[in-house]
Amino acid sequence: MTARASGSAPGAALAGLVAAPVVVGLGYSAAAAIGLAGPAARGLSLVHIDRVMRDATVWRGLAWTIYAAALATALATAAAVAVAIGFRGTGIGDRLARIAALVPFPIPYVVAAAGAVLVLGQSGLLARLAAAAGVIHDPSGFPPLVLDRPGLGFILTFAWKEVPFLTFVAVSVLATRGQQLEETARTLGASPAATLRRVTVPLLWRGLAPAVVLVFIFIAGTYEGAALLGPTDPLPFAVATYERYQALDLTLRGDGFVLTLLGLILGLAAVAVFEWTRARAERLRS
Amino acid sequence: MTHAPVPGRTTAAPIPVATGASPGWRGVRLAMVTLLVISAVGPPALLAMLSASQSWFYPALLPTGWTADAWSAVVRRGPLARAVGTSVVLGLTTGVVGCVLAAPIGRALARLHGAARHVAVAAAVLPAAAPPIAVATGLQLTFVRAQLAGTPVGVVLAHLVPAVGVLSFFFFAVFTAYDTRLDDEARSLGASPRQVWLRVTLPTLRPQLGAGVGLGFLVSWGQVPLTLVIGGGRVHTLPLEVMGYVQAGETRFAAAAALLLILLPIVLLLVASARLVRGSAPASAPAPASAPAPASAPASAPTRVSA
Repeated sequence: MTARASGSAPGAALAGLVAAPVVVGLGYSAAAAIGLAGPAARGLSLVHIDRVMRDATVWRGLAWTIYAAALATALATAAAVAVAIGFRGTGIGDRLARIAALVPFPIPYVVAAAGAVLVLGQSGLLARLAAAAGVIHDPSGFPPLVLDRPGLGFILTFAWKEVPFLTFVAVSVLATRGQQLEETARTLGASPAATLRRVTVPLLWRGLAPAVVLVFIFIAGTYEGAALLGPTDPLPFAVATYERYQALDLTLRGDGFVLTLLGLILGLAAVAVFEWTRARAERLRS
Repeated sequence: MTHAPVPGRTTAAPIPVATGASPGWRGVRLAMVTLLVISAVGPPALLAMLSASQSWFYPALLPTGWTADAWSAVVRRGPLARAVGTSVVLGLTTGVVGCVLAAPIGRALARLHGAARHVAVAAAVLPAAAPPIAVATGLQLTFVRAQLAGTPVGVVLAHLVPAVGVLSFFFFAVFTAYDTRLDDEARSLGASPRQVWLRVTLPTLRPQLGAGVGLGFLVSWGQVPLTLVIGGGRVHTLPLEVMGYVQAGETRFAAAAALLLILLPIVLLLVASARLVRGSAPASAPAPASAPAPASAPASAPTRVSA
């Protein structure tokens, strides 16, 4: 039996309190974006919003952020699904794989990014291994994976960082619902491949969706990862927000509030998508 | 619904793709296990080596000289040691205060139905999911007005913003799965709601509360944007030291600080896992971090440790 009661007002009010700081931030940023608050306040004006909307570098930075976060999320999801499906047994190899996949879970983003600089840089560990193998002869022969425009280092690092969380969720989904449904399918005559295609993968798809949305949100929102691994052109959205916000030029600082407002609105939209996928997954369970 | 068994077919194989166990598949599995183990053990090992390397010039595969100066800086209570202390205090405060605030919120959320449930859950998750840098820049001037910017108290309050979001969702999952029969029994024996909360519900959920404190600690422990903006350079935490050392090219100190940032969370994870495994009594179905949880709230608790 689960906890249920009829009154919803206290719960809704408390949830509102949790969200209040973000709402305050949204309100302040909105006021500052139209010149009514903040250090650059000069009275009602749409000049900051207009300038940001016309600034192609902002949109290229936002597009880069979405592209890199989407690719990293896709890679992490694929790896997590492979581990969850491929290592479901009780043998030592299966257990070792599951444990190893979960170890990076508590590693903070800043450590993942710092480690990536040391491993993926042009004089980093991978470049040294390539030199030892005779593949390259000097650091410039190694492809730039850090601060690079395609964001390969960023994508690989955050894909690796998020595999544990997604693996944990995928393993949980399969452990609670997978075996029963798969056994039913097999009993009805489905082949292993058909069971995988028609039962396991769809089940994982719906069960993993909320976590996948969260991972995308987290990667897209990381400041430290983008600052240490992202390119300077286009500048990732989080770094652009901070740089404009910190600028000595008050005009630019006003633009920073527009970016803050945009970031929080995108966060709101992402949370709506998350809750939609979570509600679908919850219905699947009940 | 029941199904008639197909003649000649025994029980289903639990691993549909592995039933063949061909040499090729075994090779793929071996490669995957190797890669996973390297990706788990490699980073801490590399950081440990880097933190003690005096000289490690390209293209040497291993350091050519060793030094303990980064670690002696930690022991001598230099900036790095102070940053560790600050991070631990901020993390513990965030974890404990976050749980005190979020546990009743999570319980209230779990009691909601229909649209109110969806809106409230989304509202609770918002601070954890909104871009941290946007939350920080959106709040900074409010903190400045309240004279909290640049102070440890201000930084704790800032860390509590995403932490309470994460923990509210965590406790929402815990209370969604919580079996209320013990509470009902206590009520029927005459206990007041306050007594039930303090003497039945909270003691029953002790392992989950411990995990919650750990989760709140982790949110603060890896936090960069909120500390950077709200702390205004006056509150030095371990993640900021890592950022600073990496950007200054101080590899040895960056590695030592990063290793310190890794070790404590891993110890916490192991302790929490062990406690949760021991504490999963039937009366309190444990939620997120403890056991397999399906396609719903428990399994998808937002866990960005650097949120």
